[in-house]
Amino acid sequence: MLELEQIIRTVMIIILSTVALAFFGIFFGLIYKGIDRKISAHMQGRIGPPLRQPFRDVGKLFTKENIIPENAVPWVFNLAPLIGLVGTISILLYLPIGGFQPLASVEGEIIFGDLILILYLLMIPSLALVIGGFASGSPYATVGAQREMATMIAYEFPLAIIIITVAWKLGSFAAGGLGVENAFTLTAITANPIWNAVGPLGLIGLILLLIVLIVVTPAELSKIPFDAPEAETEIGGGLLVEYSGRNLAMFYLTDAVKTVVMASIIVALFFPYNLSPLFGLESYPAYIIDFTFFLIKILIIIIFSVTLIRVAVARLKIDQIVYTYWVPLTLIALVGLICIMWDGTMMESYGWPKIAELLGFI
Amino acid sequence: MIEIQDFLRTLATNSGFWNPLIWGIIIFIALLIAYIIRGRGKKEYKKQTEQTKVFLSGNPELEKEEMHVKASNVYWGFMESFKWLYNGLEKMHTGNVSDYILWFVIILGIFFIILGVI
Repeated sequence: MLELEQIIRTVMIIILSTVALAFFGIFFGLIYKGIDRKISAHMQGRIGPPLRQPFRDVGKLFTKENIIPENAVPWVFNLAPLIGLVGTISILLYLPIGGFQPLASVEGEIIFGDLILILYLLMIPSLALVIGGFASGSPYATVGAQREMATMIAYEFPLAIIIITVAWKLGSFAAGGLGVENAFTLTAITANPIWNAVGPLGLIGLILLLIVLIVVTPAELSKIPFDAPEAETEIGGGLLVEYSGRNLAMFYLTDAVKTVVMASIIVALFFPYNLSPLFGLESYPAYIIDFTFFLIKILIIIIFSVTLIRVAVARLKIDQIVYTYWVPLTLIALVGLICIMWDGTMMESYGWPKIAELLGFI
Repeated sequence: MIEIQDFLRTLATNSGFWNPLIWGIIIFIALLIAYIIRGRGKKEYKKQTEQTKVFLSGNPELEKEEMHVKASNVYWGFMESFKWLYNGLEKMHTGNVSDYILWFVIILGIFFIILGVI
């Protein structure tokens, strides 16, 4: 039973961490956006803008007129960008950021949300874009919003397979599972790195799931090759076509924060390792080194899943996007799932060792 | 009477957790922050001028009914990429009750064969 003092303390921690994480998400989201633009420019043989360019872009948008088209539904048109940013910030509270436990699970005893909740919350920014697009009263925006809906339906399928597989492997008592309690919570997932639980077949399965998650990320973020909802060259910005000024800036910030969110999810699921135990550090030096290591992990994931892909590949049509997610990627994710399932059977029936045991990690 | 502790309880199934009240607090604070940030931007624009007209890449704006994008357009991507599947399915949907019963019997037969073999 919770004491009143504990409740007040918890609520205060939640309020303060929301403020802190909102600024963390926005600041580092914009920094990563700058790095992404710089690296992609170099890959295309350009110098590219300075790293602080995204901050300047937001500043510039704040000085521009906030035009509300005459066909729009004004209150929905204005509310959608706010909802998008708010929904994205709220996800940060449920993720383990910088080597710390998720802030919305204070003291590790009380759990306020899990991975399934994060899956649902991830839809809010996309839905905000869709609602904003429909409320714009423009044919381009409507087509963009419809494409965003189709993209969402397409990528949720492989994404759900990945999440379920990881939680099932950790939580199951059968077939090589670890029998971890509350396997869907990020606290449990980060405390039991999934790579330590698998044998050779499971390793292949996990690599396949990681590849699928890296390909799902650009669609979550509406980045090339899955940016058909915005497609500047054919529908002039799609669902954002009528947005300008501060409303557009809100969507810009949402995109920046969501990039950090998606990379943090990949870190939490597949790379929850910290450097401090390796050096035997504790307290503040450990916090600093783990936080820095977390930022580096995020950067590497963004470079692979956003920058490299968007520079290397051209935009897909919406039917190609749907096909990519529902056929090849879902099949790859299912093969990954089956590999992990059989891996457990092989361990149980034939005594196959875990990879981590072979390497002497556990 | 409902105790405050019960009110703050996390909803839990065997493996899922979510606390709506805590999420509500997070949303409220985040909304406040987003609203303050948004408030730093310019809110004026020139009403009833060319700039509030819909952007159509220079094409003339037609009547609203003519510019309307159908809701069924959402499924275009699915219909196009799974044409091979839908074409087959459409042929099966004849609207004939005899065909419907035939399918029912065939599927039931397959189930019995599977169950018999297992």
